[in-house]
Amino acid sequence: MRHIPDEELHAYLDQALSRAQCVEIESHLASCAGCSEARDGIAALRDRTTALLAALAPPRRFPPIIDDLREQAAARTARRDQARRVAVWAASIAAAVALGWGANAYVSRPHTGTPASIAASERTTRTPAARAVSTPASPDSLPGDERAARKDPAASDAASRTVSFTSAARREPELPPARAPLMAEPPRTEVSSATLPSAEGDAALGGIWRTLSWAGARDERGDSVPHLDGLPVVEVQVGPGKTGGNKSIMVVAQQLKSGEVIRTIEGPAADVSQLLSSRPGAASPSPWPSMESAGIAGGDGAMAMRHGDRMLAITAQLPNDSLRAMMRRLNAEMRQK
Amino acid sequence: MDDLEQLYQTTYTAVVRFLYRKVWDADRAEDLAQEVFVRALAHRPEKPRAWVFAVAANLARDEARAAIRRKRHLTLMTNDPDQGPSPSMAADDQVERDERLTAVHDALDTLTPRDREVLLLWDGGLSYPEIAAQTGLAVGAVGTTLARARKRLVDAYDRQHNTGDNAAHS
Repeated sequence: MRHIPDEELHAYLDQALSRAQCVEIESHLASCAGCSEARDGIAALRDRTTALLAALAPPRRFPPIIDDLREQAAARTARRDQARRVAVWAASIAAAVALGWGANAYVSRPHTGTPASIAASERTTRTPAARAVSTPASPDSLPGDERAARKDPAASDAASRTVSFTSAARREPELPPARAPLMAEPPRTEVSSATLPSAEGDAALGGIWRTLSWAGARDERGDSVPHLDGLPVVEVQVGPGKTGGNKSIMVVAQQLKSGEVIRTIEGPAADVSQLLSSRPGAASPSPWPSMESAGIAGGDGAMAMRHGDRMLAITAQLPNDSLRAMMRRLNAEMRQK
Repeated sequence: MDDLEQLYQTTYTAVVRFLYRKVWDADRAEDLAQEVFVRALAHRPEKPRAWVFAVAANLARDEARAAIRRKRHLTLMTNDPDQGPSPSMAADDQVERDERLTAVHDALDTLTPRDREVLLLWDGGLSYPEIAAQTGLAVGAVGTTLARARKRLVDAYDRQHNTGDNAAHS
């Protein structure tokens, strides 16, 4: 009678053999001490491997609620149908954001050299159209309130994710503390007037945006000015939230060493998500994908995280991974304040 | 509860683990696992379990390529002196666990890509035929590959960790 080769014993223990094969092996094992011993050795090796691999596991977290994923999947299926429009849109998110906040800069000083203003200048010709189709009037754009309301059931999940992100940021600082000193005063910037073009014609956000100095922003918000420690501040803008009063929305532009401008945004969740989803120039707005999941979400150019009824966001013309890393760092920093 | 939901409940953690062993970043692994299931929910594949791991393997491969690009962007911001563990994580427990993780990680790295893939897929819960379909091996070769992979993993771990790690045996 032949002895049983190792790989067959592995397959036997892995329950990968047919019943007939199993019977054959078992009857042999019963009468062959050598193979029986080999079987025990392989069983131990198998257990050992499983135990070793068990060490290679990330910290256990609660999986997200499947309904959140379903929602994303449904949105994705729907989006496939309008793939062309979305493609155009995705390519221009950063430009659209820049248009919103940067067009004014362009008007007062055409070539500042920042990516935002360059992006704005490329699209300046579209600005009038952009204003004409401002988002609130558009039927498919989901008003911020509804958006926020729809997300509420998932708020607890969002909270747990947020916690885990915070601890992750602390454990593996993907973005170490930057060294560039934070400017006490922003450098002279091109933006002198206080209004934002996108907000001007935007009845929902309403009112006037103001540009503040860094010190002014600190006066107004104390430590909670949304920003990444260590990066030079280019500009701080404050807009009235829909609810007015204290619930203002603040946008802080900072510049990376590479010259790219990132904007951190903090404000009432509904206002921030509306601001992010308002895309001047889009004839038929599709839902902003980064707002689809309740916790952290991303699309090219924006990343947001929700804290109760407030929302913290970052936009920049950077890959999602970079944005995500910045978002985590921002979140961790803001929590410490 | 439909099939996919059931699969999600039973397999999500295994998929996260599978991805983690490829991208070595817990958050990333989780993001990718969610992406896998969002895709599964959108596509409704016929053999969802095998499909989920196949997509996970692809995403992990893409991730490796993207990591190169990402590195470029991240280094623009600052140069990191040392990403050592933070003091709060310095409990003995944690240190021990990290050491063990590193040791097993290193041991896993000594395997050939194919052996490693087969072992990880097996550990993720795929059957021999499913592993065969995904790796292109004959079903009969899966046992041979697993036998070799297990032996190499344990040998490599014991070589660099000859202090004896008996806790894991029982």
